[in-house]
Amino acid sequence: MTSSFMSSLRQDWGVHAQRPFFRLVRLFVDRIFHGSGGEAGGEDLDFSLGLVLAILALPGGFYSIFLFDKYSSLLEWIRGQHNFDPLAAALPDEYFFIVLSMVVTGTVAVWRWDSIFPDRRDYANLVPLPISTRIIFLANLAAIVFLTLVLALDVNAASAMLFPLVVSGSQQALGYVAQFAAIHAMVIVLASIFSFFAVFATVGVLMFSLPYTVFRRISLYLRGLIIVCLLTLLSTSFAVPSLVDRLPRTPHSPIRFLPSVWFLGLCQTLRGEADPSLAMLGRIAILGSLCVIFVAIAAYALSYRRCFTRIPENLDITPETNRWYSSWPFSVLDLTVLRSPFQRAGYRFAMRTLLRSEHHGLVLGGFLSLGIVIASQVLFFTFNGKIDDAGRVPSAALLSIPFILSYCILVGLRFVFDIPTELRANWIFRLSLDKTVHECIPLARKVLLTFVLPWVFAAVFPVSAYLWGWTAALLHTALITIWSALLAGILLVRFRKVPFACSYPPFRDSAIVVVLSYILGFLAFVVLTSRLEYWALLDPALMLLFVPIIFGTWYGLHRFQQETVDIDKQLIFEEKQSIAFEVLDLDRWS
Amino acid sequence: MLEARELTKCFASLPAVKDVSFCLAPGQVLGCLGPNGSGKSTTVKMLTGLLEPTRGRVLFNGEDIQKDLVSYRKCLGYVPEEANLYPYLSGREYLEMVGILRGMPRSRLEGKIDTLLDLFSLHSHRHSSIASYSKGMRQRILLIAALMDNPEVLIFDEPLSGLDVISALVLKNLIKTLGQQARAIFYCSHVLEVVEQVCSHLLILRKGNVIACDTTAAIQKNIEHRSLERTFMHLVEEVDAEKITRDIVSVMNAA
Repeated sequence: MTSSFMSSLRQDWGVHAQRPFFRLVRLFVDRIFHGSGGEAGGEDLDFSLGLVLAILALPGGFYSIFLFDKYSSLLEWIRGQHNFDPLAAALPDEYFFIVLSMVVTGTVAVWRWDSIFPDRRDYANLVPLPISTRIIFLANLAAIVFLTLVLALDVNAASAMLFPLVVSGSQQALGYVAQFAAIHAMVIVLASIFSFFAVFATVGVLMFSLPYTVFRRISLYLRGLIIVCLLTLLSTSFAVPSLVDRLPRTPHSPIRFLPSVWFLGLCQTLRGEADPSLAMLGRIAILGSLCVIFVAIAAYALSYRRCFTRIPENLDITPETNRWYSSWPFSVLDLTVLRSPFQRAGYRFAMRTLLRSEHHGLVLGGFLSLGIVIASQVLFFTFNGKIDDAGRVPSAALLSIPFILSYCILVGLRFVFDIPTELRANWIFRLSLDKTVHECIPLARKVLLTFVLPWVFAAVFPVSAYLWGWTAALLHTALITIWSALLAGILLVRFRKVPFACSYPPFRDSAIVVVLSYILGFLAFVVLTSRLEYWALLDPALMLLFVPIIFGTWYGLHRFQQETVDIDKQLIFEEKQSIAFEVLDLDRWS
Repeated sequence: MLEARELTKCFASLPAVKDVSFCLAPGQVLGCLGPNGSGKSTTVKMLTGLLEPTRGRVLFNGEDIQKDLVSYRKCLGYVPEEANLYPYLSGREYLEMVGILRGMPRSRLEGKIDTLLDLFSLHSHRHSSIASYSKGMRQRILLIAALMDNPEVLIFDEPLSGLDVISALVLKNLIKTLGQQARAIFYCSHVLEVVEQVCSHLLILRKGNVIACDTTAAIQKNIEHRSLERTFMHLVEEVDAEKITRDIVSVMNAA
């Protein structure tokens, strides 16, 4: 009986799946997942769907597991906390999960920004076929809704199961656990949906209200801004829960404008724990979600009509852009630092790629945003007295701000150097460069320092001089400059490719090592250095400490480069996986 | 069967195509020629319904195609200038999707796809993703997609682009054969020799205007040039190719 029902269900689904509408929905789901830019050459990272879904579900799962320590009744008993109220203690964690779900989903929406709307390829392939543009519109909308639901469920799947078990595991009543789990799951999934549709609505409204060329131009900056907002939202998870506790006494607190707080209000309302101010925010969460979904769909409909149906007209108009202004800095650099034809050509190529490629700009923007968020947090805590800032000498925290920005920019740039752009076009480098004699490291170092030194000299030095006097400003500026140059050297160890002209390195094998080294690097470059600088400002004799560090690092890099065998210095255009077994081919030598 | 009446398309008030009119009857292969920027692609886009004319109409069997684009496109096979395909689909998956979207019955679709893939020498690559295909292979996928539903009207925009000698020869013969089978074919190309070989009629555009539209033989006879290349150069009168060649060589040789 059951098997016949299932087989008839399968048959029905098979028939439906062959209908044009469902085939289109499938196509759009694939397209949004795979992206619109991946042409021949495989320039998009080839992640499988399962891997992406697993990665997205990981943060919530890990965080839930870490919370076992906090909520374990045995550990509470050992700690002597006999009146531990898990529900009250869960508020900050509940807020964190809401923020996490919003940030992860929002980031995915920003990442897939260009794929949400049908593009030129869709137009070229689908419009000449006997299907109406209305069907294309509806199929794409269905794909977006479907993916939003899948994303919202996936991002929150692990935490929706684990967190309620962790928090209410000590409770006897199963109904209590089920109720806690249901409310938690509903709120975080709704927060995810809100976040995705908020990004979607932003794209739609801008596409509809701005000329297409203007939209394309600001798209990158806007995505960067959204990433900054999302990271800022993430950083609120440390401060906001304590402010939520004070909300009944401070009803005009600015935290009531945070969407994540609305969802916390909704959660507390559903649990019957909300005071009137939180209950009102809970109602705003529902209204806000409905509004965002409505605006997103309306903007999508209008911008679809405005942009998609006019794609062929846009194709035939190629506006000329006047770029005369960008040539004089290159001329100045040609005369001063770019010593060879390769450096001149490579520098122009690298700078233009960084400034014009959306993909690269977005990744670099992500690193920069991270730097800005960390720096602003440090600044926030400094001025709120959480980090000691006493006396004439600036605190280590304040001194660390330019180091944070410099570190994030340099690491971000080094990271994007590995992301290829239009691999099919790298034949020109293959054809014109000598594999054994190349200047990739000097070129890459100059590009890296171009993004750091100008603002260090133009902003950090005058601001430091104004705040702390000339001596501190000189030391501070010199230290950031030297440290940035050394970090650039370390990041470029064994670098032997033209930036953006080599295939992807095997990230998957080394991702954990890379992340760990970034964290350790941050501790050494930012935390340790700013602390040493602080001590040096207190006691100038300690400045001598920097001399052996600088020369030791420089000498180590120099020796390493000299001792690298020639074959490892050769210019490459393809990153290959290291193979487990290698034939030594000893016959060749006999 | 297909008629263009005073087609005009303006972009930002600048006319890209002005008052283009012609008829394409069943059995005719109409070659469209013109230098870059003459309005060929815009004309093709209006014929396929991708662009709506600013003025004028495209009629299919006497009906304005804009009234019922879906029905018109059911009878249309189109090979665009650029093989802009979904790189993550395999060739077979792409054709299957096109077949489903064209409303072809599953039973007919499966057989046709496999046979056509085999005939276009793509059968062994049918499960590879399009990202790994060469330009010629992508072009052949586009050709199969245009032909598989047996359309009455075929519009080719530079169909030989990237094709090898054998495939190009097959396609030229195919166009002639389909023309003889009463299909209406619009063939847009820069390759004059091919147009001369396959097209029964010619439409020559210059700066958005029709400067000649007749049978290939009649145009050549009127201009009294034996080759189509000479005829085309005579009509277009845009450049002195020999002078440009001399100038390029002199720039190359300059110190």
